Amino acid sequence: MSGSLHDVKNDIWMKTVVIGIALLVVGGLAYGVMSVGIASMKHHAWEDTIIPYENAHDHYVEASDEFATADKAWEDAGRPASGEVHDEREDALEHYEHAFEEYDHAEHAKIDAHLSYLTWKTAGITIALMMVVYASFYLVAGFFNSIQPDDDPYAHDGDHEEHHGSASPILMASGILLFMMGFPGFVDTCKAVLGLDYAADYGGFTISVVGFMIAIVGIGNWWREDLAGHHEQVALGQPFGGQDIRKAGMWIFLMSEMMVFASFFSSYLRMRTEWCTQWAVDSGRCVGPADVVTASDLLRHDIGTLLPGAINTFALIISSYTIVLALKTAKDTKWTVSDNKLMAKLFPTRKKAVRNYLMMTLALGSLFIILKLIEWSHLVAEGFDINTQAGSIFYVATGAHGLHVFIGLLVMLFMIFKADTVGYDEKNGRGIEYFGLYWHFVDLAWVAIFPAFYLY
Amino acid sequence: MGEHKLYAGKDIYFWNFVVLMLFTLLEVGAVYVSGLSVYTVWAILIGVGIVKAYGIAAFFMHLKGDPFIYTRTALFPVLFVALMLWGIGLSNPDSILGLPDWCTPNYDWAYVIE
Repeated sequence: MSGSLHDVKNDIWMKTVVIGIALLVVGGLAYGVMSVGIASMKHHAWEDTIIPYENAHDHYVEASDEFATADKAWEDAGRPASGEVHDEREDALEHYEHAFEEYDHAEHAKIDAHLSYLTWKTAGITIALMMVVYASFYLVAGFFNSIQPDDDPYAHDGDHEEHHGSASPILMASGILLFMMGFPGFVDTCKAVLGLDYAADYGGFTISVVGFMIAIVGIGNWWREDLAGHHEQVALGQPFGGQDIRKAGMWIFLMSEMMVFASFFSSYLRMRTEWCTQWAVDSGRCVGPADVVTASDLLRHDIGTLLPGAINTFALIISSYTIVLALKTAKDTKWTVSDNKLMAKLFPTRKKAVRNYLMMTLALGSLFIILKLIEWSHLVAEGFDINTQAGSIFYVATGAHGLHVFIGLLVMLFMIFKADTVGYDEKNGRGIEYFGLYWHFVDLAWVAIFPAFYLY
Repeated sequence: MGEHKLYAGKDIYFWNFVVLMLFTLLEVGAVYVSGLSVYTVWAILIGVGIVKAYGIAAFFMHLKGDPFIYTRTALFPVLFVALMLWGIGLSNPDSILGLPDWCTPNYDWAYVIE
């Protein structure tokens, strides 16, 4: 029998309320600095490139017309190798080439300035929204838990085999159901509030918000139950006899997740075999020009455009390793402070080391979401939106993956809190191990998605 | 599980992490190496993907060393993935017309209707 019980007073949860407020401040600052401050400077810089671009464009069109006229005259004159007509055509050609170079340069400058603006704007909004969601969980769940009467973990007369059934998952699922029911109305209302041409649906909006709150309370209650700890239940039946039920359950859950991603992947591959993409042209599978543009066509040809995806790949691998280190540290009864001064400062005690490794995992996962949305904003700006077959499967597959990352981050919020308060050790470290399975699976799914959608 | 065994002073998780990072570099780099055919790049991407998937599943997810029932659980959906890939192959015109010669010995092409 593993697991552990802790006599945790519920007022400990007030700490999450303070953290929630701090997160809101961080989100507000990120929004202010990035989306308002830097993004507005970048917006001015972008606006400054528009007039030179339009001038260069007009100049290019003019030079193009001049060259067309000169070329026609040269053709009509019987393509002379010298003389006035020939010289005029040469001058027009030189002028045209120069104008094209200027236009190309101005266009790239305009695109770069626009993407730079989008980068800062999207980063600020994403961080702010993430902090609002993180804070919602900490504030609502923390406040709800802090006002609950204290439980007595030893109130079952030592009956360690007692089933610790919980209504929290049902509460959470009901909340998610309501949230999804009202979600279209929620989106329409948000769009209407943002000034877009949509009719607000306040009924749907309210259902969605209420559902979200119920889901948070369900999750919060689950957190509270887990914080106090419980004995690990062992499966009695086959085929998992003798194994921890939570671990077996996690693997069966991952099995279903694998099917979800496999269906996205197979849909993509099936469509891809029919498309005449640049890759298919290069491999001789169809005759060019390519008539389908994939996300990888826009991303892989330049290291700058591939960079967010590439950094995300490394971020997920590093985060997989940091969570392994958190588990290893939690289990290590002989853990000692490092001789290295920096490491000793970062990881001063075993308890803080586990917490800090989890915080690093959270930071890397958050970076993943920020870069993902920056990359999406760039793709949409380049015209690659969800209204095409290639865009639809790209955004659905990578979006589903991003959603999994984000859900993992929400779970990690609780794990960080638990690591900071009760702490993880060799007795209750299995919580990290089982969550780690999910987190590694998310990394594993990215191992298939990244080459298929970004490099192929 | 071998997690306590040290290799050059570091545990298996560290070396798995290093291998994953290096193979990711190789994966990204393969696209930028000029002169490689698309088939070579494809082979590299698939090969690197298999190595990375094995590294994550075997070491980070502890399948290597855990009871075999977990590996069986993880492999179960692979059967469906294989079936889906088979379906992709069968539903594509190239599954008949694009097969290489060695794959269609003594094939009677009179049956193929384009």
